[in-house]
Amino acid sequence: MPTIRKWCVAALAAAGMMLSGAAPAADWKPTKPVDVIVHTGPGGGSDLLARAVVTILEQEKLVPVRMNVLNKPGGNGAVAAAAIYERKDDPHTLGFITSVWLANALTTKEAKITIFDLKPIAQLLLEPAVFAVRADSPYKTLKDFIEAAKAHPGQLKQSGGSITSRDNIVREQLQHATGTKWAFVSFPGGGARLAALLGGHVDIMVIEPQEAGEQVRAGKLRVLAQLSDKRLPKWADVPTLKEAGYDIQTTPQIRGVVAPPQMPTEAAVYWEGRFAALVKTAAWKKYVADNELEESFLPGKQFRKSMDDTSKELHDEFVKAGVKVVR
Amino acid sequence: MELLTGLLHGFQVALAPASLMMCVLGVVLGTVIGVLPGLGPSATIAMLLPLTFKLEPTGAMIMLAGIYYGAKYGGSTTSILLNVPGESSSVVTCIDGYQLARKGRAGPALGMAAIASFIAGTFGVVALMLVAPPLAKVSLAFSSPEYFALMVMGLAMVVLLAGDSLVKALLAMLVGLWLSGIGTDLFTATSRFTFDTVELLGGIDFIIVAIGVFAIGEVLGNIEPHEAPSMIPVPKGLRNLMPTWDDMKRCRFAFANGSIVGFLIGLLPGAGATIASFISYGLEKAVSRHPEEFGKGAIEGVAAPEGSNNAETGGALVPLLTLGIPGSGTTAILLAALTLWGFKPGPLFIQDSPNLFWGLVASMYIGNVLLLVLNLPLVAVFAQLLRVPSYAMFPLILGVSIVGVYSNASSMFQLGLLAGFGLLGYLMRKLAFPTAPLVLGLVLGDPMERALRQSLMMSQGSLAILARPIPLTLLIIAALLLAVPLFRRLNAVRMQVLDNET
Repeated sequence: MPTIRKWCVAALAAAGMMLSGAAPAADWKPTKPVDVIVHTGPGGGSDLLARAVVTILEQEKLVPVRMNVLNKPGGNGAVAAAAIYERKDDPHTLGFITSVWLANALTTKEAKITIFDLKPIAQLLLEPAVFAVRADSPYKTLKDFIEAAKAHPGQLKQSGGSITSRDNIVREQLQHATGTKWAFVSFPGGGARLAALLGGHVDIMVIEPQEAGEQVRAGKLRVLAQLSDKRLPKWADVPTLKEAGYDIQTTPQIRGVVAPPQMPTEAAVYWEGRFAALVKTAAWKKYVADNELEESFLPGKQFRKSMDDTSKELHDEFVKAGVKVVR
Repeated sequence: MELLTGLLHGFQVALAPASLMMCVLGVVLGTVIGVLPGLGPSATIAMLLPLTFKLEPTGAMIMLAGIYYGAKYGGSTTSILLNVPGESSSVVTCIDGYQLARKGRAGPALGMAAIASFIAGTFGVVALMLVAPPLAKVSLAFSSPEYFALMVMGLAMVVLLAGDSLVKALLAMLVGLWLSGIGTDLFTATSRFTFDTVELLGGIDFIIVAIGVFAIGEVLGNIEPHEAPSMIPVPKGLRNLMPTWDDMKRCRFAFANGSIVGFLIGLLPGAGATIASFISYGLEKAVSRHPEEFGKGAIEGVAAPEGSNNAETGGALVPLLTLGIPGSGTTAILLAALTLWGFKPGPLFIQDSPNLFWGLVASMYIGNVLLLVLNLPLVAVFAQLLRVPSYAMFPLILGVSIVGVYSNASSMFQLGLLAGFGLLGYLMRKLAFPTAPLVLGLVLGDPMERALRQSLMMSQGSLAILARPIPLTLLIIAALLLAVPLFRRLNAVRMQVLDNET
């Protein structure tokens, strides 16, 4: 595949210039299997993404060695962050992070090592989401739901994850903007959240578009609004929050790659280049389209800024929502 | 009619040489990882996932499903032989399985585990095929209040798991409940009892506790000087290693119990195979005519949970395939695999992809037969393991336990926990505390707390939400479970008094 090689070279060169500044990047290549550390068990979101990325990197021969996904579950990323940190200057270790790590850094005092102690390599994706209700629900628009919440304060229910999750933050923002209140019921897994909605035990949920798609097609769910700045390709007829009449800046759900803190610059440049090449492959584009994700590649430096910005937004939202912030 | 044509079509798919090969591969692999503690089906399927992209999806799905239910067959082996649960769903099997092995009946116990798994596993597939779509709706009626009542019912079973002292059993259960509270709280993101350690943020994995108190505790107890080193007799000849006709007759109810309870609990995305096996075991003991034999080597105590965790597979596939809702780590990976291959698990899945659905169902019939044929001759091989003298056996058990725990999380901290719980298990044995209630409390504590808090969030704090029909029924059953032994005991006292008077 000559085109891909060309891309790689170009991306590598570009990335090299961005990261290393004056010193030209030395040629570095992995020489032994690489550990890819994720914070979920097998089957979790980060685990599945990491395995898909590793598969594409290997299939496209972008990396000359094998890459093993290593599950370090626990503490919403705290255990995995510590595991990556312990690898000090190892150029053969990478980690996959999500916004959960940012939230965790703010709320968990035990997490002495956080995402900000690690070396950012590249941001890969943003995860879009939509507000959905049951298809037989009386709420045809988000406005209907908000009006109902106004009429019956505290009685409507939303299923979601932890209170530090994006689901709850957007709820807090909407409540704040509209002076309404509804309940937030935490469930540990996406399956249980969806089951609670389909079974009529809650009224609304924030759901990933790909998951919602099948339920909509089967006539089980209706999507009211999407939590993104512009409409997603497959949901062209669904308004964004702003279009639905609620001018709310939602915090993005980031997915990206980090490395041990003292990874040598030439290795970091190499990895940044690999991921820059990855996001240009057809296999990646197909993966992103199939799972209805939003491409958002950023090299290390900008990734760091993106994390900082998101962290600040999260901090403010947590304070407003009354979540105990420790940092 | 539609069903028959579907099934016939499915067998056409599943009996094609390539599919058959994948099925054999899956169930053999599943059995192996089931036997090995630590390595579970979810990790194995996740590791194999990239390889399946080059395969034809139906064959790949048949193989991955084979690993999923094959592991449940293999899980009982180390439970029975070494008191080390091979899978989390085989924890209960340790209780009576290991006692049977110590009596020289390891062969029948292993054989019965395979037979019960076959019967209930097949029942699970039949039920999946016949009732999948209508039952999927029923499973949605189950929400937090229902789960809470189910977990309370599970905890009430502690009176059945108790030995001579109910007080000691309840104490052990409370410790288990406390342990389940360790870690980050889902609702408030605050950490509880973590003592500022990162490792405890994720809570304590119950399989570590189970291996610690069961296996390590047992080894520590056994290495104390005995008058005569006990050697477990192993009868010779395959015939003597198989369950007798009497055993089969004793297990008639256990087969039905395991099949039905396992399937029904499998339907609920929030319960799972471990809880199914505990509840089947408890039910078996509750209705048994000789409950006193449980815990001392009752073969029904193997048949019921092993059947139950296999029937659970069929049940768990219902919400997965008909609603797109996974209930466990393993089914979540199967869901991801289906999505990656371009299928759309959800309400329209069976209609959209009949080939895959019926091929999978048919392959599960075949796979269960294969597993029975594979596992029964293995009984003879495994049973010989007990001829190993104790000076080699105990290090073997320790080694298997340590490797099992380490391969799960590759963390030294977890090994420290294992040692700690091994010591706790030893102390509990010395002080005659039953260990099973501790493990039960740990398994049920977290889902129970969660379900109660979710219920109260839904009802704005009103307990009336627990008065819905299903939770109410389950709570009444729980109350009866608690009350019956008390009445029996009171009755026994009364009888004694009457006897003394005359």
